[in-house]
Amino acid sequence: MAYSDKVLDHYNNPRNVGSFDKKDPGIGTGLVGAPECGDVMKLQIKVNSDTGVIEDAKFKTFGCGSAIASSSLATEMLKGKTIDQALDIKNTEIVNELALPPVKIHCSVLAEDAIKAAISDYKAKNGAPAPAAAKA
Amino acid sequence: MSHSKEEHHCWNCGEHSASERAARSLFCQFCNTLQAPSPDYYRFFSLPKTLAIDDEALQQTFYQMSRLLHPDRYGRRHERERNYSLEATAILNDGYRVLKDPVRRAEYVLRENGFQVGEQRSNEVPPELLEEVFELNMMLDELKAGDDDVIPQLDEARDRFLAMLDSIDTELDEEFRSHDAADDDGARMASLTAIRGILHRRRYIRNLIDEVDRQLTSRNA
Repeated sequence: MAYSDKVLDHYNNPRNVGSFDKKDPGIGTGLVGAPECGDVMKLQIKVNSDTGVIEDAKFKTFGCGSAIASSSLATEMLKGKTIDQALDIKNTEIVNELALPPVKIHCSVLAEDAIKAAISDYKAKNGAPAPAAAKA
Repeated sequence: MSHSKEEHHCWNCGEHSASERAARSLFCQFCNTLQAPSPDYYRFFSLPKTLAIDDEALQQTFYQMSRLLHPDRYGRRHERERNYSLEATAILNDGYRVLKDPVRRAEYVLRENGFQVGEQRSNEVPPELLEEVFELNMMLDELKAGDDDVIPQLDEARDRFLAMLDSIDTELDEEFRSHDAADDDGARMASLTAIRGILHRRRYIRNLIDEVDRQLTSRNA
């Protein structure tokens, strides 16, 4: 199957690969797996506890090119957003940006799930919903 | 499991029999001619439709039928009988391969009951394994990058997955028994659904182990 240029770009030069210490209270970790193809995706966010802004994001994905590209793009989209804004990220934005074909849409869904999982992990670690002070 | 009335009606001698045993036999009880073989493996091997089966009895039946169906016996027989013998031999071999293996056997019964199973992709990551699978993939990456230090860890992980496979097989065995003991179709279907889930996890873990083995061998090669 032919990948779009954007997918290839993210696949060949994935942004923000790596990991943070998941025990750090300022870090939210989402680990998800894809029913369709056995992909495993880990996405982490580093949140500023005062502002609720995601200052950094990292990922590591084992899976197909589209899954890697989707999570790579997701980390880029996350940076600079508040966690509330990040919750609004929809998989369709990833689909459009990467021009994913229908058979690869589940990869973007997985990335969205990973974002949500990382945020809820962060929230769970920090007790209450994080401060919404920095509503832009 | 079906108890529909079947009759034996020999294509060769024309004799009838209403006995179920005669209807299920591969050979006419009157003229001993080979009859059209049943494509149903359980029926072909005269086994009740249970998931737990007696391996030894199955093997005995297989040997016995192999002798009865040997092509040499049909060389000079009627063409129709000769064709039946070829068909029956194919069913015999395929059926034996499927029935003697618990996983294939369960897949066969699942398929017969309308479940989608088999070799097609079913790499669903069991959620309780995500962490472990992620770690395993990390180690495989390191190995591919030339870091042999992870080999002991990989061996350990492999052992853990093998142990999981063992406990899955035990689970499968228990579920076979509850399938066989089910009093009604609802309970039986529920059990088959559980079995499909177990097979799913089994295949996933099997694939992981194979992947580890592949990487370790190519490393040592």
